[in-house]
Amino acid sequence: MTESTAAPEPTLSALYRAHRGWLHGWLLRRLGDTWTAADLTQDTFLRVLAAQQSQTLASLREPRAYLLTVGRRLLVNHFRRRSLEHAYLEALRQLPEALAPSPEQRWVLLETLQALDELLDGLPRPVRQAFIWSQLEGLDYASIATRLRVSERTVKRYMVRAYEHCLLVAL
Amino acid sequence: MNARTDDAARRLAREAAQWLALQDAGGLSAEQRDSLSRWRERSAAHEALWQKAEALRERFSQVPAPLAATCLDRPDPDRRRLLGQALAVGTLVPLGWLGYRQLPVDSWRADLRTATGERRGLTLPDGSRLQLNTASAVNLDFSLGRQQVQLVAGEIAVDSAGSLQVQTRQGLLRAGGASFCVRLGGRGCTVSVSRGQVDLQPLSGPGARVDAGQRALLGASGIGALQPFDAQLPGWQQGLLLANNQRLGELLRELRRYRPGLLRWDPALERLAVTGTFQLDDTDRILALLAASLPLVVHYRTRYWVSLTPRENTA
Repeated sequence: MTESTAAPEPTLSALYRAHRGWLHGWLLRRLGDTWTAADLTQDTFLRVLAAQQSQTLASLREPRAYLLTVGRRLLVNHFRRRSLEHAYLEALRQLPEALAPSPEQRWVLLETLQALDELLDGLPRPVRQAFIWSQLEGLDYASIATRLRVSERTVKRYMVRAYEHCLLVAL
Repeated sequence: MNARTDDAARRLAREAAQWLALQDAGGLSAEQRDSLSRWRERSAAHEALWQKAEALRERFSQVPAPLAATCLDRPDPDRRRLLGQALAVGTLVPLGWLGYRQLPVDSWRADLRTATGERRGLTLPDGSRLQLNTASAVNLDFSLGRQQVQLVAGEIAVDSAGSLQVQTRQGLLRAGGASFCVRLGGRGCTVSVSRGQVDLQPLSGPGARVDAGQRALLGASGIGALQPFDAQLPGWQQGLLLANNQRLGELLRELRRYRPGLLRWDPALERLAVTGTFQLDDTDRILALLAASLPLVVHYRTRYWVSLTPRENTA
């Protein structure tokens, strides 16, 4: 929306005019909220604009398929970020007032959590849980095994998988 | 990334992951530790990946555990449903990881800093008054007869009792008894004098004197033209944001300094004219006031992500 678009290429503005309404409609059906759909539509085109340094738009034979890929990714991200933020605000409400962080700390912390959440995305629930308990609560493998009702060997396998996933994503 | 390097990266990540899991499982024997050292020394890529792995653990150790665990392991039906779709479109780009935002290190190390939205005032050892605006940082040096404030980030207002210096990245400001504001920006620092006189000295080039009622941009290699301004108008020092027939875009860019999170607006709103006096302590209220007086809608996409869009005529 703002900070955007110093003189978009003619091809991009053509693409924008031709497909904006359609993409907005597609997002709206999934979001049920026209403003957010408009935001995500805008973000999708910005993302496409940023990616165009390496490939020209003219070479896109299927602009809608491409837009949809980017748009769907942003949509999934949006849902994930929103649900994390809900959980976060809920958790903050449970804190005693004296421990409540300042507005800026809250924001920085939320950003960090969003990054970690994104990092863990795509891992199956038990793998994710094993990793979170080990990293955040410092639980040993035996305790994790008990909680998850699996063997210690399995916990170790989960941990290897989670570490590998995070390292690959962070590369 | 072609298939071969992909395979190599995958293998390396798997090996590192096995070492990490082994460490977590209850520590390494002396023999295993040696073996791990040898693994790390095998190539620069091995060592680089290990550093990355340690940075990963470090990041998890930085968040408060119970809070983070609750959030990251949230039950979430949306998530279930969407996961399948996410995998179908390939690996997600880890934007959050790459774009992780941190304040500049300088401002954490500074003697005094304010958070976004915070303002703070104090009296210096020589009786001068110093105020820090939002997201600002200073270092103070009042040792051995020096009276110097170093502006590291943001904006300050100084009401100096005697002689005092302000140092910025672009140069030096000297004041006798004077009241002035210094604001760091992308192009240099803006100095606005409301009482007395301030001498500016850029890192290179000739200096200049700024009188009460004047404002100048200090860059590292020179000083911009002196501009008059109304020194009587209240400003952030009084907790106020003034707009006099100002473009909405300008006002919002200013407001953004005081608000944690994202604030965005439709370009169509950029040129709307705004006039008003706003209380900086409650930026949500400012947004509500704007929505009440201008044809726009404030949309909270999330608590920290606010968009302004034109109001559609539904009449």
